[in-house]
Amino acid sequence: MKRDSLLVLLIGGGLIAAGFVARAQDNESHNRSSETSEERLYLNPSVMKRVTLAFNGVGADWYWLRSLQYVGRKVVAYEDSHEGRMDFATLASLDLRLLPSLLKMSATLDPQFMEPYSYGAVVLPEINSQEAISLINWGIAANPQQWRLHQHLGYIYWQRGEYSKASEVYDAGSNIPGAPAWMAVMSGRMKAEGGSRDAAREMYQHLYEASNDDAVKQMVAAQIMRLDSLDEQETIRRVLNIWTARSGRCPSSWKEIAPLLRAAQVRLEAKAEAPIDPSGVPYQLLRNGCDVDVDVHSRVPKR
Amino acid sequence: MKPDPSIKIHNTVPDLSKRTVAIARNAFREAVRDRVLYNLILFVLLLIASAIFLGELSGGAEEKITIDLGLSAMLLFGVFIAIFVGVGLVYKEIERRTLYAILAKPVSRAEFVIGKYLGLCLTLLVNTAIMGAGLSLALVYEHRGWNPLIGRIWPAIFLIYVELMIVTGVAMLFSSFSSPALSALLTLFVFIIGHFSNDLKMLSQSSSGAATQWLFAGLYFLLPNLVNYNAITLASHGLSPSGRAVALSLSYGLIYLVVLVAATTLIFNRRNLK
Repeated sequence: MKRDSLLVLLIGGGLIAAGFVARAQDNESHNRSSETSEERLYLNPSVMKRVTLAFNGVGADWYWLRSLQYVGRKVVAYEDSHEGRMDFATLASLDLRLLPSLLKMSATLDPQFMEPYSYGAVVLPEINSQEAISLINWGIAANPQQWRLHQHLGYIYWQRGEYSKASEVYDAGSNIPGAPAWMAVMSGRMKAEGGSRDAAREMYQHLYEASNDDAVKQMVAAQIMRLDSLDEQETIRRVLNIWTARSGRCPSSWKEIAPLLRAAQVRLEAKAEAPIDPSGVPYQLLRNGCDVDVDVHSRVPKR
Repeated sequence: MKPDPSIKIHNTVPDLSKRTVAIARNAFREAVRDRVLYNLILFVLLLIASAIFLGELSGGAEEKITIDLGLSAMLLFGVFIAIFVGVGLVYKEIERRTLYAILAKPVSRAEFVIGKYLGLCLTLLVNTAIMGAGLSLALVYEHRGWNPLIGRIWPAIFLIYVELMIVTGVAMLFSSFSSPALSALLTLFVFIIGHFSNDLKMLSQSSSGAATQWLFAGLYFLLPNLVNYNAITLASHGLSPSGRAVALSLSYGLIYLVVLVAATTLIFNRRNLK
């Protein structure tokens, strides 16, 4: 009995001690992994495809998961230090230099795997749009029947402001059997009103529908929110101008122009009667009540 | 003239198949008793189960990852089983001296080799079917019901099985003249080179010297071409190889197996077992 309790004590004490050592090891390996996480890939994609034998599918999955982890870790670190705020514009500041190689590796190992292309089309343009174009063109060459890839390429050209090129790509995609009718519509829209807000909204809506990744969906949804907010700000400015023209001064509070805002179908906060942005945060009056902008605490991205 | 009823006509063909079946059955029983085999199957099933959880981190590619990981695990561990059980089949019988008791009976060496080979193929068939069922269940779980992808994975599983039959044949061939360790190593090399068949062909076509061309072309035709048995990626995208492709792969596999078993028998017939 005494011997047993000694053994139980030894097991319990041993587990606790092992826990402490494991924590110390975690800290140590975390420091080491942050040093090595940016190391370039040793093998190029075509060599990798050869050495994976029949296991190229698993290899592609591995690099795909690694891409998500690579971006995810940096996004989480950024959000932790910025009160959980993250949008497209900040992707460029995350130093995702390894991402193009990781996505290219995954796409080479399994060219029919669509997720790396979709992800690359949304995330890569913020880092290196040329790499994004190269990845999607590779995908189009390997999957000539996938109209989705044309949608992604068109999005990248649109982001670069190359509307006629975007129009051509959408047009090419619309000719692929099975492509939806809106691909042809987008082609015409890119040519006629490439830089317009409506074109952007439609672009993001289709992108949202195409994506399976929650992080990408969130970023795209934030961009749709930004466009909605820009529309709302335009309406509020119009109301401000009307009120200023009538009273000869800018309003000192939202309450003063609340009836006009309500008439213009702007959503108002119940208590302060301030207009609220798509993320539910009240807009701020600027320049002594003559202009409007989103609040610093708003979830609506600036860009 | 009526045949004399006192003279028994010995019907050799049914006896031959009976004896081969008996040896195959025993080889299957022997393999099934091996605990290592169960551990390997259990490991694959655990791997398939873990693929479900891994898939949740994949940003919408859950089923693809489950299929890729599941089929790859089946191939990898199937090759391990084929190699490690395959190389020991004949060797163990010699080591334990049970082979002498078998060959003292009216059993030819060819029957012994074929029986042993078929026994291991049966073991692999059962293993592959269990692992395939595990993967199908994983897909049902992920889809919360019948998953159409299940119909797509079975042609790939069938091709994996044919590939494993070839690997088993190679393992048996090497074990007929070499030690188990060396046989295992050589079989593993053949498995790896078998997946570089296209490169061998390309090297043969792009080489400038005639001798090099012949060497690579010779290796290309001599070693098993295992590239055509890889339908894992296709299955993970919900596609299946064409019926013609499966039929050609099966034909190639059967022809190659006949060659392997014949070569094993030839070597085994000449082997001095004293």
